[in-house]
Amino acid sequence: MPARVLILGDGDAGTIMANKLRFHTSRKDVEITVVGNSKNHYFKPDGVHISFNMLDYKKSVKPTEFLFNYGVNYIADTVTAIDVANHGVKTAGGKNMDYDYLIIATGDRFTPEDIPGYSESARHFYNLDHALELQKELKAFRGGKIVIGQASIPIMCPPAPYEFTFLLDEYLNFHGLRDKTEIHYVYPINSVFTIPNVADYISKKMEERGIITHTLFNVDSIDPKNKKVQSLEGESIDYDLLVMIPPHRGQKVISDSGLADDGGYVTSSHD
Amino acid sequence: MDVKADHVIDARNSYCPGPLMEMIKAYKQAKVGEVISVYSTDAGTKKDAPAWIQKAGQELIGVFDRDGYYEIVMRKVK
Repeated sequence: MPARVLILGDGDAGTIMANKLRFHTSRKDVEITVVGNSKNHYFKPDGVHISFNMLDYKKSVKPTEFLFNYGVNYIADTVTAIDVANHGVKTAGGKNMDYDYLIIATGDRFTPEDIPGYSESARHFYNLDHALELQKELKAFRGGKIVIGQASIPIMCPPAPYEFTFLLDEYLNFHGLRDKTEIHYVYPINSVFTIPNVADYISKKMEERGIITHTLFNVDSIDPKNKKVQSLEGESIDYDLLVMIPPHRGQKVISDSGLADDGGYVTSSHD
Repeated sequence: MDVKADHVIDARNSYCPGPLMEMIKAYKQAKVGEVISVYSTDAGTKKDAPAWIQKAGQELIGVFDRDGYYEIVMRKVK
């Protein structure tokens, strides 16, 4: 009997894990099954470029099944419960699946409801719909004050907000709008990034480019009417365009199955 | 230290910004007047957590060296 490996999630992590594992193991020894509910696979790192219209979004979307190598079983379904003690998973489609090894690659979900005012006013580029909305906003932008940041830590792809910021600076220069625009970059910790040598580098580059930074800025609320973003630390910044990565949590099924607190992230172990 | 913590966060072996984020999460849940204590082994947090407490206008009770880790103690004052 081959060992049964069950992978939950058909995003980048689940897909790469399945294909790599298939490459390194034989079907005689290992049976690989992926369960996921993406109708299409959207390559999220492209969002930053799509928002500046540097990339045709159609190239970033593929049918999910198309991406799995031969020998990977793919089931389009939604996981509703994980029973680690009994090595079982239930799905919305009524399946009860057993496994020998479980890989959880369900990723993050956005929780804009964690920040009052977020949904009414903030833009971002972390999924395709929002990247395309932001593209429209940027096309219409004629100058003003742009505030960029992330509403919480952790987020997917931590470098994306500063990558976006530098591309925005280039974009505005190219379109002759940079001298009509203030760029403000806010970050939750006492630095512009979590990795110290990267933070030192980008901090200097931001200063050279006239990008104004605000550290120890944890977003508390957004006032869409008056276009102000308020930090937990008592700072308030007004904006014309707010590009704010939404708060993230892990998937609810992870918390509901007792594998995590309401943050939804499985605790890792050093053992 | 003779202040009793209402919330104790054991963030040892967690790296920056984990301990600071845990402290902020506890701060959001705490009531005014409550004391939060964070255990950490991360060197950066020793600097960053007091900086956050100061910027947020909260009270830093102290940073204490313990056996193989340190403890940051703050009070939520508003």
